[in-house]
Amino acid sequence: MVFSSIVFLFFFLPIFLLCYFLTPSKFKNVTLLLYSLFFYFFGEREYVLLLLASCALNYFLTRMMNDKNKKILLTIGILINLGCLGYFKYTNFFIDNVENIFKTEISIPNIVLPLGISFFTFQNLSYLIDVYRKQVTCEKNLLNYATYIALFPQLVAGPIVRYKNIDEDLKAKKIDFAKFGSGVRRFIIGLAKKVLIADVLFSSMRAISMSEQTFISYWLVAILTTLQIYYDFSGYSDMAIGLGKMIGFDFKENFDYPLIARSITDFWRRWHMSLSSFFKDYVYIPLGGSRCSALRNIFNIFVVWTLTGLWHGASWNFVIWGVYFAIFLTVEKLLNKKRKKLSKIMNFFTPFIILISFVIFNTTDLRTLSTSLKGMFGVGVKFINHNTLYYLKNMIGIIAISLLGIGPHIKETLKKLQKGKLKNGIDALELIFLMSIFFLSIASILSDSFKPFIYFRF
Amino acid sequence: MKDKILASIFLATLSTISISFLFLENRETSFFERRKLTTKEELKKDFLDNVDDYMTDQFVKRDSFLALNSFYRRNLLLNGEYNDAYIYEDYIIEKNYPLDWKNVDAFIKKIKKIKNEYLEESNVFYSIIPDKAYFLDENVLTIDYKALASRITGQLDINYIDIFDKLKLDDYFKTDIHIKQESYFKIVNYLSRYLDFKYEDRNYTKKSYADFRGSSYSKIPHPSRRDTLNYYIDKNIENAKVEHLEHKTNRIYNEEKLGSVDSYDVFLNGPSSLLTIENHNAPEKELIIFRDSFASSLAPLLLPYYKKITLIDLRYGDIEKMEPLVDFKKADVIFLYSTLTINNAHLLKVKI
Repeated sequence: MVFSSIVFLFFFLPIFLLCYFLTPSKFKNVTLLLYSLFFYFFGEREYVLLLLASCALNYFLTRMMNDKNKKILLTIGILINLGCLGYFKYTNFFIDNVENIFKTEISIPNIVLPLGISFFTFQNLSYLIDVYRKQVTCEKNLLNYATYIALFPQLVAGPIVRYKNIDEDLKAKKIDFAKFGSGVRRFIIGLAKKVLIADVLFSSMRAISMSEQTFISYWLVAILTTLQIYYDFSGYSDMAIGLGKMIGFDFKENFDYPLIARSITDFWRRWHMSLSSFFKDYVYIPLGGSRCSALRNIFNIFVVWTLTGLWHGASWNFVIWGVYFAIFLTVEKLLNKKRKKLSKIMNFFTPFIILISFVIFNTTDLRTLSTSLKGMFGVGVKFINHNTLYYLKNMIGIIAISLLGIGPHIKETLKKLQKGKLKNGIDALELIFLMSIFFLSIASILSDSFKPFIYFRF
Repeated sequence: MKDKILASIFLATLSTISISFLFLENRETSFFERRKLTTKEELKKDFLDNVDDYMTDQFVKRDSFLALNSFYRRNLLLNGEYNDAYIYEDYIIEKNYPLDWKNVDAFIKKIKKIKNEYLEESNVFYSIIPDKAYFLDENVLTIDYKALASRITGQLDINYIDIFDKLKLDDYFKTDIHIKQESYFKIVNYLSRYLDFKYEDRNYTKKSYADFRGSSYSKIPHPSRRDTLNYYIDKNIENAKVEHLEHKTNRIYNEEKLGSVDSYDVFLNGPSSLLTIENHNAPEKELIIFRDSFASSLAPLLLPYYKKITLIDLRYGDIEKMEPLVDFKKADVIFLYSTLTINNAHLLKVKI
C-alpha cells in the first residue's frame, strides 16, 4: 500500500486514525503496531514474519547485551542483519556477475525483495550499535521496539529513523489538534509533490526518452530525471513526516533543498539526510573518518560511497553512481584544503555533476547509460530537432513549477506575508490552496488508474 | 488556528468520501472511460487484491475528477498533449507517432502475400485512410504521411486510390477516430471511378444519435463535448442479409449499440473478423474489403452496387482460416486501411 493510493487515503487512514485516537494513550502503540503490520501485510503478505523476526532478534540481542558479551552479540547481530539484507537484495546480482565472469550457468533462485528491507534493516542496525555504544538505553518493552521498527509512516520508504530520536514519542506522544493540522499540511504537500509533479515529470521523461534523442533532449531528460527523483522521494518523506506528526511523532528532516546545493559536499548534507548520516555515524567515522592520513581518508570516502551506491540497488550503475560521488567529494576535499579559487570554479559545475549523477542513477543498463552520457556531451547526436522542440514546449509548465519548488523561496515568502497585515487573508488562501492541491492530487491518482480500453479499435 | 481548521476540513473530507463508499450504488461500466469497472462482486472474491481497484473505480464523482485532472494537465501545466492525444479546433486527436517503419514494411509484405497467394485472378485496389492527425499543423508531432504513402505506393504493385485530398478534418467525428458516414458519400462516388460502378445520388433516411461520445472522448474528457452520429437507411440496407462469423445479429445497423460503451458499433455490430452483406436487388457483382473499423460505416453505402460484400478484418481473424470461407476469384478486392492500422500492422494476422 502506498500513501498516494485511494485505498490508503480513504480506507486505511480514516479507519486507523479513528481507532488510534479512540485508543487510550497507554495502548496507542498496540493500535499503531497492529495497523502497521496490516499496512505491511497489504503490500507484502509473505514477509510479515521476517519483519517480526527481525524485530525480535534485535530486541533480544540488545536485551542480552552486557559489558562482557556485547562485542560478540553486536557481531552476531550485524552479521545476521547484513546477511539477511545481502541474501534478499544481492544474491541475484552476485550470481549474475559470477556467471558473467566465469561464463558458467548457475540456477538463479527466485528471491523476492521484501518491501522496506533496506530501511528496517538499517533501523535495526542503528539501534543495535547505539545500544552497544550506550548512546541509547535498551528498550525493555518489545511492543515499543516492534512499533519503532514497523511504524508504517516510515516502514517502506524511510526516512531511516533512529530510535534515540523517537524513543520519547514512543512512550509519551505529544498529540494535539494543531500538530495534527501541521502534519496534514505536510502530508498534502508531500502528496502533491509526488502525484502532481513527480508523476508528471516521469511521464514527460518517458515520452521524450522514447523519441529520437538530441543533445538538448539528453539534457532535458537529465533535468526531468533529477527533478522527478527529488520530488518523488522528498514527497514521500514529506508524507511520512506529516503522518508522523498527525499521530504524535517528530521525525527528522530527510531533505533540505538539495538541488540548490553549492557543492557536492553540500548536496550530500541536504539529500537523503537520514541515509548519509547513517553511513557517516556507522561506517565513515568508525573507519577513521577524516582524522587520519589523506590516503586513508580517501579510502574511507570511497568505501562509504560505494556502499551508499549499493544500498540503493543491486546493480552496477548504483556502484558507479556511488564511486562518481566519491571522486567529486575527494576532489572537493583536496581543493578546499589547497586551491580555494579552483574549488569555487568547481562549485559552478555542481548542478551539472548532480544532473549527470541522476542519469547514472536512473539507468540500470550500462549500454544505454553509455549512449546517454555520450549524447549529453554531444557525441553522435544532432543539437536539436522538431521532436525536442515539441517536448520542450509541452514540458515548460511542469519544469517551471518544479524549479520554483526546489528552493526555500516560496516558503520564506509565505512566512513573511503571514507576519504582515494580510495574515488572515494569506492564511485563508493557504487553506484554499492546500485543499485544492489535495483534490487535484485525488484527481491525478484516479486518472493514473485509467486503464484505456485495451481492445484495439480503429 | 489555521492548522486546526485545516485538520477539521481534511478529516471531514476523508470521512465523507470514505462513508460515501457504503452508500453509493455500484457502477458496472464507465461509458466515460469505455471499460468495465471493478465491482463489489470482485471485492468479495479477494478483498486485499481488489479493494484499491474497487475504491478507485467506484470513487464518488470519478468522472468529474478525471476531467479535473485533464484540466490541470492541459490548462495549468500548459501541456498540449494529454493521454497521447491533443485538442485541435475542438477535435480530440489521438497521437499516431512515431511512424514505425517496421510496421509499414510488414504491412506491405502482408498485402503482397495476400495478393500473390489468393488474389491472382482478381481486380485488386488499395486505399489509405488518413487519421485525424494528418490535418494538424506542424506544431505537433505527426507522422510523415507523404513518406508513408510513397513507401507503400513504391512497393505495392496494386492499383492505388488516393483519397488523402478528398477528406477534411470536419469529415471526422470530434470525439472519435472515425469518419462520419455522411462524409463517405463523396468517397463512394470517388471509388466508383476505379471500381467500375455507376454512382447514384440516392434517397436515404437519416437517423441520428446526438449523444455520441467516441473512443477518443476519454482521452481528454470534457463534460460538454459530444458528437452527433448519423446513419443512413434505405430499402437496400433494410433488406440486406448480414452474416457474421462471430455474431448472430443480421442487421446492418445495430441500434442497441447506441449509448453502449462504444456507440460506433452501431455500424455492422462492431468488430468482426468476417462478415458478408448481401443485397439481392443489386447487380451481379461481388466486392471483398480487407479492412479495419473505418470501413464499417462505408460498406453499407456500397450495397446498391454489389450483390455481395465480404468484409475481412485481419486483426481478428487469420487469413489462412478465412481462405476456405471466402471465394476470392469472383470478386473485386479493395484493401482499405487507416494509417493507424498501418502503423500497427503487426496486428494483422498474416504470417510473413
